[in-house]
Amino acid sequence: MTRGWWKHMVLILGAIIVLAPFYMMLSYSLKSPGEIDRGVGGFFGRQEMMVDPRCVALRQPDRADIDAARARFPGQDDAGIQAALQAETETACSMRPVVFNYTKAFTEAPLMRYLLNGVIVTVSIFLIQIVVALPAAYALAKLRFWGREAVFGLVLFCLLIPVHAIALPLYIMLAKLGLTNTYAALVVPWTISVFGIFLMRQFFMTVPDDLIDAARMDGMSELAIVWRVMLPTAIPALLAFAIFSIVAHWNDYFWPRIVVTGNRDLFTPPLGLREFKGDGDGSFFGPMMATATIIVTPLIVAFLIAQRRFIEGITLSGMK
Amino acid sequence: MANLKVTSVTKQFGETPVLKGITLDIADGEFVSLVGPSGCGKSTLLRIIAGLEAPTGGTVAIGDMDVTGMQAADRNLSMVFQSYALYPHLSVAENIAVPLRMREVTGLQRLPVIGGLMPGARGQKQSIATSVARAADRLEIGGLLNRKPGQLSGGQRQRVALGRALVRDPAAFLLDEPLSNLDAKLRVQTRAEIAELHRALNATFIYVTHDQVEAMTMSDRIAVMMGGEILQCAAPEIIYEDPDDIRVAEFIGSPKINILPLERYGSDLSLFGRSLDWHVTQDSPQVMQLGLRPEALHLTQSAPRLRGRVAHFENLGSEVFAQIALEDDAMRVTLRATPAERQMLGLGAEVGLAFDTRSAMAFDADGKRLRKIEAMAGVTSEVA
Repeated sequence: MTRGWWKHMVLILGAIIVLAPFYMMLSYSLKSPGEIDRGVGGFFGRQEMMVDPRCVALRQPDRADIDAARARFPGQDDAGIQAALQAETETACSMRPVVFNYTKAFTEAPLMRYLLNGVIVTVSIFLIQIVVALPAAYALAKLRFWGREAVFGLVLFCLLIPVHAIALPLYIMLAKLGLTNTYAALVVPWTISVFGIFLMRQFFMTVPDDLIDAARMDGMSELAIVWRVMLPTAIPALLAFAIFSIVAHWNDYFWPRIVVTGNRDLFTPPLGLREFKGDGDGSFFGPMMATATIIVTPLIVAFLIAQRRFIEGITLSGMK
Repeated sequence: MANLKVTSVTKQFGETPVLKGITLDIADGEFVSLVGPSGCGKSTLLRIIAGLEAPTGGTVAIGDMDVTGMQAADRNLSMVFQSYALYPHLSVAENIAVPLRMREVTGLQRLPVIGGLMPGARGQKQSIATSVARAADRLEIGGLLNRKPGQLSGGQRQRVALGRALVRDPAAFLLDEPLSNLDAKLRVQTRAEIAELHRALNATFIYVTHDQVEAMTMSDRIAVMMGGEILQCAAPEIIYEDPDDIRVAEFIGSPKINILPLERYGSDLSLFGRSLDWHVTQDSPQVMQLGLRPEALHLTQSAPRLRGRVAHFENLGSEVFAQIALEDDAMRVTLRATPAERQMLGLGAEVGLAFDTRSAMAFDADGKRLRKIEAMAGVTSEVA
């Protein structure tokens, strides 16, 4: 055994701690409720056919059904027909647990709508953050103006303010403007990201001044320099920022929970998880975990795609 | 193509004066080098001419039009930067096309999809492509047009930067130490190419460098700058042979000019206490300095003016530079000798030196050239 084995042990332990919840989430999303309750079935569960009690309850045959089905079951009395119909319903309502969990995820709540809301909100936030942060960062990094250091000091100061501390005043302002229960309430408070300004400013500091002077000589306006020169060179930094921003707002439960009070059409994916919170009749862990899996999948896929671009990046090597 | 006129330009960064009243007239088609040690303000002057920096006082005129308050882009000047400053995300062709696109294509036409549908877009695209191809051919980078700057060598990047400057047909070219990031061999080659390009284009070039060889070999005129002032602006041979100031004499020339103390006793000038048989008037300054280029010195056996010991020598093949310690190591002078004289220059050998009076230069204690004294001394020595 090599001498560094204990480092690997520590790292493996850390990885297990991080991955365990994901393992549980994925495993529960595949298992039947019984298996989840009893904690059996390994990772995949046994995938035995199961009957959806809710489906059966909804399709309970009534008088009219029995009358209509009389022709199909000649010579049977009503109780017999009812029993036969019951059996048919149970067959129709039985399915594999994995199918049950994932169909429930989509049918029980308008999950597609929630996902769409999530996309609208996170993408709007990210785009507006860039529109604000890039020119601000450019000015702070490359333009000389009176009070620049003071403004940068304010940016650093704002980094220290926790979101939860200002949540209430923000909510009150939005409420006074009549903006609660709108997309605006979900997006507007996040559009100015001081972290984004700080991150991009630090990156722009490394861009040679000559490049900006060359662009000025070539006839670009200051805004053209931001969008045509700084933005393309800043792609790696922007991707890093995108991961922070998109992950934070896609997964955010706190803020949507505050400003979206009634209108379910505005629910973001994390709010959608609440739909499976059992009130009196126990929780639906299977469909709930299926929903959670569906919610995190786009993030994981996006990260894997962006990861390659991270490493490639556009290097500034063309300038030296 | 245009002439360029800089009139009493000053620049201060906070309290620090960087330029102390620069006046410079550059004729149409002239190649002028701004040369000086780092921090002398030469790059600042170039940036003021370019419009990237605003002067604290004074004016800049291009083609007899005052452009002092005008933006960089509107001055129609091209600049080549030391770091080349190519756009890393654009291909070579796109890099070269940027100045034309920014000047000739409207904002609407530059939009990705709609732009192509605008009237006249196709013709413009074609004419830009033609100009880019012509510039690329001129610099022999036609084969690189689709590459990104990151895939190019230093020399190739340098050519692309030149191409970007060339394509817009500017009033003048401004070059800010364009060769300092190249290796020595490529630098010599590119130096010649830039000089040729200047002749072919017959355009005004302003070339900033700290390398005196570049300045000497390429320019019509050299402006030697030091401490925010132009000490002398003249043709390279004049700068070398007839400098106005001891700082110019010391900066230009490699190895450096030898400076020796010169004293006046009555009407007699003497060097290290020995009389030189040079006679000047009584009102001449008491203490002066004598400047002697290494090639003005030669070895002699009879009646040497200077005596010393060889302290170090460098053989470059075609010539030998020897450092001679004079007067018990009080001072060293550099001598340029021919390879034939090498055996006389063994380490520690005692040698006698004489010098050509006509190529000796006298400076006062502050470093100003004393042409009057030289004339007086020159006449007397010729008579003697």
